[in-house]
Amino acid sequence: MHSILQRGNAILAYTLSVLACLTFVCFASTVLLNYRTHADLNTVKVVVKNVPDYSASREKNDLGFLTFDLHTDLSHLFNWNLFLYLTAEYETANNKLNQVVLWDKIILRGENAVLDFKNMNTKYYFWDDGNGLKGNNNITLTLSWNIIPNAGLLPNIFAHGSHSFQFPVDYTTSRMVRLN
Amino acid sequence: MDFINKIPTHMDFEGQARAEKLSRVIITLFGFVGLVWGYIIQQFSQTVYILGAGFVLAALLTIPPWPLYRKKPLNWQKAKGETESVSTSSDSTKKNKKKN
Repeated sequence: MHSILQRGNAILAYTLSVLACLTFVCFASTVLLNYRTHADLNTVKVVVKNVPDYSASREKNDLGFLTFDLHTDLSHLFNWNLFLYLTAEYETANNKLNQVVLWDKIILRGENAVLDFKNMNTKYYFWDDGNGLKGNNNITLTLSWNIIPNAGLLPNIFAHGSHSFQFPVDYTTSRMVRLN
Repeated sequence: MDFINKIPTHMDFEGQARAEKLSRVIITLFGFVGLVWGYIIQQFSQTVYILGAGFVLAALLTIPPWPLYRKKPLNWQKAKGETESVSTSSDSTKKNKKKN
């Protein structure tokens, strides 16, 4: 004879099995969606300084400052939440590929996902591990995002569209750089 | 404690079968409806809540031993007289000893 506890256990176990099936259907309904879209990027003001990097070697390294424009509509990309990040990619004598994340943003579901930023400051320092920024004429900014799903994969998506710019050939020496 | 022990908790066999079948139908139905509704409004959380409601309903309907599940109790053999029962019980203990 099944006792009350056994009946309760059977119902709970069956409910959890059904929940697992529903979650799988949710995953299956989103796994083939295309999460790429266009993003327009532009840089407004770009300077480079040569200052001691106390967080690393204390030697003088190149530190880039820039402000950027960003215009994109991500409102159709939502599964659950979005995590955006802006990456600078460039090549130096030391390294074939350097990638520095300059800025990021979390957009929760329901928040405004039509982004139109003008003259934004970066969120993180643009340090090079040497003197690779001064006069570097091919720095590429790309926007990428993580789709945070209800269930399923956690893809890293690169936006269509990027922006390349160059750093000035001279260091800026003023102590305060006013970017805006 | 006597009062608690006197609360009936058993179902008969057919009642158990009905209870299990009913609970599965309810939970499956709520899960399916929840999935369709959640897909329509694109909110998986609603699917989970509706499934949870199905679980609560199924628990209320099929965990307590409602009279519905006790309609066909088994007809147990009547208890035998005192002397007879003593002899049979001693017989069975002897048999058990031999087996061991």
